[in-house]
Amino acid sequence: MSDNLLEIKDLSRIFDISKPWLNRLIEREDRRLLRAVNDVSLNIKRGETFALVGESGSGKSTIAKVIVGLLAASSGEIRFDGVNLAEQSPTAMRNIRRRYQMIFQDPFASLNPRWRVRDIIAEPLRKFGMGDMEGSSQKRVDELLELVGLSAKDGSKFPHEFSGGQRQRIAIARVLSSKPEFIVCDEPTSALDVSVQAQILNLMRDLQDDFGLTYLFISHDLSVVRHMANRIGVLYLGRLVEVSDSKEMFRNPRHPYTQMLLEAVPDLDMTGRTRVKAAGEIPNPITPPSGCTFHPRCPLADAHCKANIPPVVESDLGAVACFKAT
Amino acid sequence: MSDVLLSVRDMVVDFPTRHGLLRAVDHVSFDLSRGEVLGLVGESGAGKSITGAAIIGLIEPPGHISGGTVHLDGSRIDNLGMEEMRRIRGKRVGMVFQDPLTSLNPLYTIAKQLIQTIRTHLDLTEKQARARAIGLLEEVGIPAADKRIDDYPHQFSGGMRQRVVIALALCAGPELIIADEPTTALDVSVQSQIIDVLKRMCAEHGTAVILITHDMGVIAEAADRVAVLYSGRIAEIGPVREVIKQAKHPYTKGLMRSIPTLTQTNDRLTQIPGTMPRITDRPEGCAFAPRCGHVMDICRSQQPATRSVGNCEVACHLETEGGAS
Repeated sequence: MSDNLLEIKDLSRIFDISKPWLNRLIEREDRRLLRAVNDVSLNIKRGETFALVGESGSGKSTIAKVIVGLLAASSGEIRFDGVNLAEQSPTAMRNIRRRYQMIFQDPFASLNPRWRVRDIIAEPLRKFGMGDMEGSSQKRVDELLELVGLSAKDGSKFPHEFSGGQRQRIAIARVLSSKPEFIVCDEPTSALDVSVQAQILNLMRDLQDDFGLTYLFISHDLSVVRHMANRIGVLYLGRLVEVSDSKEMFRNPRHPYTQMLLEAVPDLDMTGRTRVKAAGEIPNPITPPSGCTFHPRCPLADAHCKANIPPVVESDLGAVACFKAT
Repeated sequence: MSDVLLSVRDMVVDFPTRHGLLRAVDHVSFDLSRGEVLGLVGESGAGKSITGAAIIGLIEPPGHISGGTVHLDGSRIDNLGMEEMRRIRGKRVGMVFQDPLTSLNPLYTIAKQLIQTIRTHLDLTEKQARARAIGLLEEVGIPAADKRIDDYPHQFSGGMRQRVVIALALCAGPELIIADEPTTALDVSVQSQIIDVLKRMCAEHGTAVILITHDMGVIAEAADRVAVLYSGRIAEIGPVREVIKQAKHPYTKGLMRSIPTLTQTNDRLTQIPGTMPRITDRPEGCAFAPRCGHVMDICRSQQPATRSVGNCEVACHLETEGGAS
């Protein structure tokens, strides 16, 4: 058995956005398919933080949802701790489900406004049959609240009584209640103010150290990703264009898209470094460009890039999908 | 100082509610020179958008400006009637909002919206207005502007739409543009392009800009001076470089350290404990006192006065005590 906790192989997710069949028949239109995730393969090692970055529409959140089972994969396989998730019986699946959880972006939408915080946090305990006796689950909820920096008496309040940062702490407490090993974090701090973001990021790192958690961290903010991740995968239009060690990627980005993303990050240190300006926008994923989907924005693109899809090439430095990468 | 375009003095904005008067903006003062870019930063609820809206008389009733003055180019504008204010808006002060899809009318083509705005404020024929509109679209970087002008807003991408909104704001050649979170809804690679367009256009047209954002990175890229708002008051205002590199107010210091950057080396982010007090239960003294590491007795009872320190103005008792600390 390898030290990979999660293995994703050739994962694709296609959304059918065609009109109803009668309209298609009358208007003589074909089916329209949106390939949100396109042949993505990646491995996440035990105890690491793997980050997925990319602009809106690159498929980051779709991958997260497919991993936790909120969306079905169209093709490809996902192995969690060596077990193929697609082949499991519902009972076995239930056991595995407990071991991975998800933190969502919007702490205002992810907590039920009619439930008390105590019940919200205890829900996974109830669902997975981990808190049979009322007393024991109560004690666990109090522990969890204090673990995430709230107080035990906050348990009897409702979500609207908390600020955004505190709600995200509640969401983290809920996730931790079933003692997961793997947590998918979909933009956990992008709805928060910077001073609160720092608190949540620090909390997440502390919890990782304390419980040996593995994170899949999804964000569009490269500075946050640099702070949190061990390894980074860059997505563009549903394809993984580069995967490498976090430090290496910031020192030496190899894919032209990664280089462009790094150049576009505002220069907060005001070093006044000269930068190549980003050009263009992410194309419509319904009608992606031919060949390498990045070619219309790429300064290095030539005829070969327009016609052929670059394969992902693995090396010591990581993986990159570009004909021009050195 | 003859080149002061906008002068805001002790502006107070109140919202009467069932639970009493809520003071969203509390004695905010600043000056803006011609062609200057002033950043307004702060966390959600700090009062940055309300400050921007108050300057152009767009506060939703029952909210109102209940104190202070706003002068545009020497003449007072905060006490003007609806009709007079409407003539200033668009003509002398342009606006760019966060979400380009809601600031454009989805039922009209870009051409119609631009031409209508131009002809409302300038004495031009339909044809001249159209030519001016196409010229503006080209300036903001829309390819094939003469063809795309007849498209509807939904046919443009997010970044392109924001360019159209900038063109719309510049239609009548305003002296001031208020840009409220112009890049927040956009991706980083598009954000940097929009900041460039905004900067370039304003430099070329000599337009001053109030850039409202929560993103210090955007401020570092675009602004000349920056005002840091905290709980309805200005904590610190000064040249961007000084505020970012040598912040004086403990809040600004904490804020700058809590932002992860591409060059930092330490493992943990410095965090400011707690959150900004809600507008309903602001502490009596300095609003930052409960979160401040340097809090003194006086901070809890008395609001700090704004004081000049070098090129900056800082509202903190530490600076008032100056020599002592």
